[in-house]
Amino acid sequence: MLHSFIDILRRALDEEMARDAAVHLLGEDVAAGGAFGVTRGLAQKHGATRVRNTPISEAAITGLATGAALCGLRPVLEIMFIDFATLAMDCLVNQTAKYRYMSGGQLAVPLVVRTQAGAAGGAAAQHSQSLEAWFIHVPGLVVVAPSSPVEAYGLLKSAIRLGEPVLFIEHKRLYTMKEELADDAPLPPIGQARIARAGSDVTLIAYSAMVHSALEAAQTLADSGISSEVIDLRTLLPLDMATIAASVSRTHRAVIAHEAVLNGGFGAEIAARVGSELFDELDAPVQRVGCPFAPIPFAPDLERALLPGSDDIVRAVRQLPGLG
Amino acid sequence: MALVAQEIPKVGLVMEAVKVVRWLKNVGDTVTLGEPLVEVETEKSVIEIEATASGRLMQILVQAEQEATVGDRLAWIETGTASPTSAAAEAEAPPVAGAPPIEESKVAPPRPTYLPPVSPPPAAFDARAAGRIRSSPVARKLAAERGLDLATIAGTGPGGRIQLDDVRRVIESPAKIAVPSPVAPSPVAGLQRLSPMRRALARAMTLSNATVPQFTVERSVDWTELQALRAQFSARLAPGAPRPSVTDFLLQAVARTLIEIPALNATFWGDPESPDAGVLPASGAHIGLVLAVENGLLVPVIHHVERLGVAELARRRVDCVDRGLKGRLKREEVDGATFSISNLGAQGPDRFTAIINPPQSAILAVGRQRDCVVVKDAQIVIRPLSVLTLTVDHRIADGRLASEFLARLVGILEGRDWRFD
Repeated sequence: MLHSFIDILRRALDEEMARDAAVHLLGEDVAAGGAFGVTRGLAQKHGATRVRNTPISEAAITGLATGAALCGLRPVLEIMFIDFATLAMDCLVNQTAKYRYMSGGQLAVPLVVRTQAGAAGGAAAQHSQSLEAWFIHVPGLVVVAPSSPVEAYGLLKSAIRLGEPVLFIEHKRLYTMKEELADDAPLPPIGQARIARAGSDVTLIAYSAMVHSALEAAQTLADSGISSEVIDLRTLLPLDMATIAASVSRTHRAVIAHEAVLNGGFGAEIAARVGSELFDELDAPVQRVGCPFAPIPFAPDLERALLPGSDDIVRAVRQLPGLG
Repeated sequence: MALVAQEIPKVGLVMEAVKVVRWLKNVGDTVTLGEPLVEVETEKSVIEIEATASGRLMQILVQAEQEATVGDRLAWIETGTASPTSAAAEAEAPPVAGAPPIEESKVAPPRPTYLPPVSPPPAAFDARAAGRIRSSPVARKLAAERGLDLATIAGTGPGGRIQLDDVRRVIESPAKIAVPSPVAPSPVAGLQRLSPMRRALARAMTLSNATVPQFTVERSVDWTELQALRAQFSARLAPGAPRPSVTDFLLQAVARTLIEIPALNATFWGDPESPDAGVLPASGAHIGLVLAVENGLLVPVIHHVERLGVAELARRRVDCVDRGLKGRLKREEVDGATFSISNLGAQGPDRFTAIINPPQSAILAVGRQRDCVVVKDAQIVIRPLSVLTLTVDHRIADGRLASEFLARLVGILEGRDWRFD
């Protein structure tokens, strides 16, 4: 049976709530299902105490969730759109991320912050951003960005069980994607990337929805005899550098693709680490594919024109020496 | 863009090894299909190999003085390269303040002033010329592991950067194995190794002596008529035109004889033990001219001699010899003969026997011209004579045919029927 991204998130939350009484859901409208219906029906099943609607105040509710986590619960907080995580930044950066360190390891914040990112369907400049780089900059946080329903199912469960503050970034464009879920599939560990497609000529590093653009690009390139390996990072922080290193050491070329703007994007961090840690393995400069440095337009045609896609990845690969 | 391998074409029938004499193009140069690319020394001569594709010479795999065999890759040619100037021209130009608006499709959209201008990418340049060898890190690592000098590897990357594949190609190139090591010991003390040309000559002559049953027939030729005609004809030539030599008349006479007696205008193929062995007739008179050069022989071939007059043959011969001595013969100019002429000239012996160059049918050895006492019309006269010695492959022809051939050849040489143009 096929499950949509939204249904599968609900199932993961449902199962974790059944498994662990400490798991609570917090967020705007979550008792009614939330903006995308992820939590629909869970309040009825697990009770209004464990699925609580909150005021529209990201700063306050992030503090609430952090406090609950400090006190022993395992809250899952939904921040409706990562664009408004800006309002929660002070708590996340200065409190949530710091407790374990500043308490000398005596305190932990087992909090999962679910949030939606990415452009989909003309949500305009304030509801379409990919702001993961800001959080990857903060020691003490874990940042996860699944690429598919099945990945989201396992990663959300692993995130809830991790016992650390996790920013769980869901791409709105993936919400309608459907996949079959194996009952006995092992949960993917946090901090481990996966090889989404094996190849030998170039490593395409992507996460979230861009994994699909990378896979599409790999197929296009395969038709002209270029073999691409696609890495789905899954966890952005901590970065699984070992998987990247093993792949780039085979292919000697790397292209990083993300939907966020290139300027200060996470691709720059990966490129820098590949450049310094794998210098002797490189046969070409590391290339990045990302959004132009501009706000996401409202007009759907303009949005499509701006967003990076498989064509951009193919172009970046073909610019590499020996792959033209 | 695509990379096309420049390989060594098969030139002669027994050709195996060649030595690169010099490259006529440098890495990075533009080459055109059919343009002379490299000079190689073969068993027959120093010949030019033409580019098999148009594009840019990206990498030389076999350097001068290195040896390679037929079918080896000599170089890589990159086809379909955009010129650096067009690439630079395509680059987005920075906006010019106050510039009048032009057609929208032709210019980049106006840029907000807070953005830095996009600088055009630097035009490709040859890093070697700038004194630094560009190489990718992994290419450097592999070269270091294999003890390869980066300076000997041509780069195919941007600005001539040496890429991993460039190093791999050098490692995999069979030509590398043939690079003579300066410390390689000789098997015999004091042994001086043969040059490729000498070695090929030795191989061809050994093959000839071991596998070709050869016999010779001889006959004197009287040059009296020919000398007179040659003097008359030369006097009419424009100043500066090449003066026909006896060799040019010999070429024409042999060509005519080969056409009249086609049994000798052929090559022998296969093992006589096999039912597949046979004789391959030639479509025209293609005649090799044996030239002594320093430490070897050159045999430029003049094709379709039967179509050419003496004046044209003189021009062709002078050109062939000139380019042969300079090592500028093309491969088709040393190939395809059925018959060779060896003329050791005025300083040569009275008579000599030549060895057939397989798979040709025969070779004519021309002794030096000297005045001899001859009985003519019951009178004792002095005439300029040479002894012609024809060596024939007995598998192709017998003594009677060889005698007929030589008699007809002498008849033509002593006659007045020449084509002079």
